[in-house]
Amino acid sequence: MSLMKAPENTQVWVNTSRCKACDICVSVCPAGVLSMKAEPTSTLGAMIEIIAIDSCIGCNDCELNCPDFAIYVADKKADNVKFAKLTDEAKARAAAIVENNYRLPENYGK
Amino acid sequence: MAFNYDKYLRLEKMPTLWCWGCGDGVILKATIRAIDKMGWKQDDVCVVSGIGCSGRFSSYVDFNTVHTTHGRTVAYATGIKLANPDKHVICVAGDGDALAIGGNHTIHGCRRNIDINFIMINNFIYGLTNSQTSPTTPQGMWTVSQKAGNIDPTFDACKLAIAAGASFVGRETMLDPKKLERLLVKGFEHKGFSFFDVMSNCHINLGRKNKMQSAMENLDWIDSITTPLSKYEKLTPEEQLNMFPTGVLKQDTEAREYCDMYQEIKDVHQGKRKVITQDDFEKKI
Amino acid sequence: MAIREIISTGNNLSAIAAVDAGCEFFGGYPLTPSSEVMHTISDLLPKVGGVAIQMEDEIAGICCVIGAAMSGKRALTATSGPGMSLKAENLGLAQMAETPLVCVNVMRGGPSTGLPTRVSQGDVLQAKNPSHGDYKSITLCAGSLAECYTEVVRAFNLADRFMQPVIVLTDETLGHMHGKAELPTLEEVKAGIVPRKKFEGVPEEYFPYECEGDQPAVLNPMFEGYRYHFTGLHHDKNGFPTEEINTCRDLIQRLEDKVELHRDELELNEEFMCDDLGENDVLIIAYGSVSLAAKEAIRHLRKDGIKAGLFRPITLWPSPAERIKHFTDKIKNVLCVELNIKQYTAEIERVSSRLDLEGLYKVNGRAISPHEIVAKVKEVF
Repeated sequence: MSLMKAPENTQVWVNTSRCKACDICVSVCPAGVLSMKAEPTSTLGAMIEIIAIDSCIGCNDCELNCPDFAIYVADKKADNVKFAKLTDEAKARAAAIVENNYRLPENYGK
Repeated sequence: MAFNYDKYLRLEKMPTLWCWGCGDGVILKATIRAIDKMGWKQDDVCVVSGIGCSGRFSSYVDFNTVHTTHGRTVAYATGIKLANPDKHVICVAGDGDALAIGGNHTIHGCRRNIDINFIMINNFIYGLTNSQTSPTTPQGMWTVSQKAGNIDPTFDACKLAIAAGASFVGRETMLDPKKLERLLVKGFEHKGFSFFDVMSNCHINLGRKNKMQSAMENLDWIDSITTPLSKYEKLTPEEQLNMFPTGVLKQDTEAREYCDMYQEIKDVHQGKRKVITQDDFEKKI
Repeated sequence: MAIREIISTGNNLSAIAAVDAGCEFFGGYPLTPSSEVMHTISDLLPKVGGVAIQMEDEIAGICCVIGAAMSGKRALTATSGPGMSLKAENLGLAQMAETPLVCVNVMRGGPSTGLPTRVSQGDVLQAKNPSHGDYKSITLCAGSLAECYTEVVRAFNLADRFMQPVIVLTDETLGHMHGKAELPTLEEVKAGIVPRKKFEGVPEEYFPYECEGDQPAVLNPMFEGYRYHFTGLHHDKNGFPTEEINTCRDLIQRLEDKVELHRDELELNEEFMCDDLGENDVLIIAYGSVSLAAKEAIRHLRKDGIKAGLFRPITLWPSPAERIKHFTDKIKNVLCVELNIKQYTAEIERVSSRLDLEGLYKVNGRAISPHEIVAKVKEVF
């Protein structure tokens, strides 16, 4: 299996030029790592944003479910990266994001 | 995982022209991973696609690719495979391409059991041309050619493929891309006609006036109508009416493959064996 | 030309010709009166390692042939009128994608189911444009048993030269006629095979559809390290779909020009007893099996003191416009004889700018006899 080399110490990264803001990766991420943000220059007015990279558990669901080759997760073996364990806090954040049309609510956690 | 798809893509064609959230992209990735797992050389692979959104599949991948007329992928692929039996041929067609205009060719590809991998991307509608009814569009849904509501009954593509003689028939959805990849690998490894009913979302066309405007709502609907074969077999007939079983639905490793059988014909004409008779076959009707 | 004699039918000779010319794949469907081409080739091809398959319908027949041809093999199909109608869409794709193949049409009575076991030349106009859109058809017409063989051989070489389908018209008379054909030897045929051009450089520098405006695409066989895309959509130099204004225009113009600007390579005629024809003599224009009757009629006429000659186009499309005009400018009395209603006469009128041509047209499924032609000439001239 040929792998892409992850950027240094990065669990998950995006290629925004390919992202079509379909919301799927945000909807499948169990740990609330991802959110959509407003982006006036993109077709749907939104763009993917990594908001909590240290919560990433390396489940690969975002990479597998992205239709557009726009998001990649580091390889547990090949790249020397630490993934988190899934916490209740992360799960709650993920639920809140999905509830709020795949966007992190304005004053979440404050 | 950071799978390197770039090796298999025609990068100058990115991004794809598919709508945001379209399952075609997920299926494309799963297919690439499956081909990678098989260890096939890119030069030895031919991808033949039909007309429709799924038809654009072939222009994105770096193999020998053919974009055919509507419904004819199996016919073109039969010629390519028979002329080059040691190469790997994959057909990609939509539900309309495979079952409506292409129905006859699909049936006969199954009947011949020629070693072609046929991926039917079933999004229950004619997507590219904006929402006309397809042979899998559920009755009662809104389509642009039946705005009063679709009255056309559907058929179960896998049952059709099994009855027509395909020796490997499986169904998955793009809800679980890893499961899909595993099914594709099983089918690619199988020698014979491998038929895959891959259910996908078209929230832009099917979903738009059928209460599934977002990719996730469309995916939830597909989730609600599919269940693994083992669970499906335990349902009542009433429950089975509105469910599709997923997984490997048929695998016959004894069925003879067409190119192998054609080799026998070559051997007869080259004097290497006697004429083929009914005694060469178990099935005599 | 050294002579090899084969006694057989036109259909069988077409099948033998294909195999001799290096055909490795046949796909088709039974259709009277062409079926014998399939029957014969289904024995000949596997013997030499090729493949012949009877598909589930006419459309599948042409599609599998196009697929095999795309993968690099010389490929043949054979059919009749109704099958040509069914194959039309995919013949168009082969034109657009520039796929070489040979399609034999053993013409029968039409339209529609027509007269399955009887002769006509009713598919001549169809052969000019079987499919929608702009492109130039290459259509050859066999006028004898021997040409059922030699025209198929020529068709394969032309298909590879021009990278498109070549239609070979024969008809029920020739297809089922059994007799002696004097053919070139197998060695001569093999020596005359000119396969399609191939690109020999590095794959990174290979652009299959990038060529001069009057040249065909250079399409390497599949599976040899040159990966590209075939499509029926308008496409760019890689074969990828495009709607770019100039690319689209140039592509269609090139499909036209690659044939139109090289008609000299395609033109083939027979001028039977035409050398001594003067202004008041008789010119007969006929093709296919009708030309056999015409030649016999000319022998009768000359015995009766009427100087007559036959101009027989063998390549029907593109038409030999200049050569036809050479004769129609010179000779007043021109009789067009066809087993259809004026299908090729219309082209002769166009290229000659004459509307006073006489015609003998028969559409009842029976051949035209030499006597009918003699009687017509005496009646009108």
